[in-house]
Amino acid sequence: MKVNQPMTDVPFIEIEDLHFSRGEHDIFRGVNMTIPRGKVTAIMGPSGTGKTTLLKLIGGQLTPDRGRVLIDGLDVHRLSRKALFALRKRMGMLFQSGALFSDLDVFENVAFPLRVHTDLPDAMIRDLVLLKLQAVGLRGARTLTPAELSGGMARRVALARAVALDPELILYDEPFVGQDPISMGVLVQLIKRLNQALSLTSVVVSHDIKETLSIADHLYLIADGQVVAHGTPQTLDANQDPRVSQFIHGEPDGPVPFHYPAESFYRDILGHASVTRAG
Amino acid sequence: MQSKLKQGAAYITRLGRQGCEAMEALGRAGVFLAQSAVGIPSKEGWALWLKQLHFVGVLSLAIVLVSGLFIGMVLALQGYTILVDFGAEQALGQMVALSLLRELAPVVAALLFAGRAGSALTAEIGLMKATEQLTSMEMIGVDPLRRVVAPRLWAGFVALPILTVGFSVVGIWGGYLVGVEWLGVFEGSYWGNMQSSVSFINDVGNGMIKSLVFAVVVTWIAVFQGYDLVPTSEGISRATTRTVVYSSLAVLGLDFVLTAVMFGGLS
Repeated sequence: MKVNQPMTDVPFIEIEDLHFSRGEHDIFRGVNMTIPRGKVTAIMGPSGTGKTTLLKLIGGQLTPDRGRVLIDGLDVHRLSRKALFALRKRMGMLFQSGALFSDLDVFENVAFPLRVHTDLPDAMIRDLVLLKLQAVGLRGARTLTPAELSGGMARRVALARAVALDPELILYDEPFVGQDPISMGVLVQLIKRLNQALSLTSVVVSHDIKETLSIADHLYLIADGQVVAHGTPQTLDANQDPRVSQFIHGEPDGPVPFHYPAESFYRDILGHASVTRAG
Repeated sequence: MQSKLKQGAAYITRLGRQGCEAMEALGRAGVFLAQSAVGIPSKEGWALWLKQLHFVGVLSLAIVLVSGLFIGMVLALQGYTILVDFGAEQALGQMVALSLLRELAPVVAALLFAGRAGSALTAEIGLMKATEQLTSMEMIGVDPLRRVVAPRLWAGFVALPILTVGFSVVGIWGGYLVGVEWLGVFEGSYWGNMQSSVSFINDVGNGMIKSLVFAVVVTWIAVFQGYDLVPTSEGISRATTRTVVYSSLAVLGLDFVLTAVMFGGLS
């Protein structure tokens, strides 16, 4: 087991001039970010701006068209497959769905990273798993299968699994989506507490403003494939840029239009009517 | 005229694109096979392999053996009605054994295996992909190609040849039941003719080589289709269908090629 490095001013993740596209659609057009060590950094933006894609680029599951992602000085996309998997042992990721292994029960899901990456005896693995499950409040649910868990419980088990190896970095993909207020409160508290207790670097991708602002030390707002604003929750709250204010204050219309791009409504309706009449 | 030219050009473009996509998929499948099948399994890898061997092999045993029995019985029945016209019913054992060992056992067992185990492998891996289990495994630092794909591939490579042996044995016994016990062919000639005419290397050996080739192809197609599918319910359904269709066509096509090389005088 490694010892977490102390908080320093050296950023843990550096993203430089990141370009990524899917087919004709540009998702990122020159994104630059620095994610400080030992802090909670939130990446926010409207749906469809590529927040999850950004996490996949950081985790090395996708390769950018241009630019690079450095994690602790290592260029993620230039690593060999073996080195990339070694780097991933230092990361944890919480997926939107939880992504628990359906053929294993709760205990074995949390034990999985310990079993594959360490030679610890069974008794010690048991203790570690129970500690992690106790931290997320689900020690009593250890024998349940993923199918028997609620959405909130599945996400908490996934969180226990993500911290099983005491990683240096945790990536949270929309941790609050679809949660009831109690589960949401539990998750907010857990993310903050784990970050402080384990000196983790946390990256939270979310569009739940209230919850994210309450735990983030630093925020990035992305839209149209670029970073449109960044700073502390307070500076973003006070930001006058219409793109920022529309998102932070949840205004239905603004620079991000309510309507999906389409031809003129007038022409769409009347054009159709004239064709029908002529026919 | 111009519109016809345009249509023609569009058709050629589409054909070219499909060709390129097919080549790209073949390349991906090749890299996929090399990355997952090559390497020494860990201690845990053996346990995972055994579990998969049970899933794809033992659980396919019933369908393969029952099919083998019926095919052997039908062969004997059909063979007898033809051979008896020439007074050659004593050669029934030879006919049943050669048909099964050279052709029917490898081919039919592979087709059944594609339907029973291949489709299940595709659906299982596909569902793991759709529910992000493979991605989460990658993020835990575990290579799903080694952990999920490799045990399934090797289980398939081993299981199908063993199932083929079972198919042949039960088929020959089925032929005996119908030919000797029911139709009254002399038992000594059933076994004796079989023994004198079946060559271990040419017939049993070539049949096993066929079976091994089919095992590699069917399992490869099944796990690749699961791993490469579009992770939606429709994607899983399409990939499962593709597994059965591609595997069946590949088995029948390769059977012709292998038969031509082994028994058709091309060797």
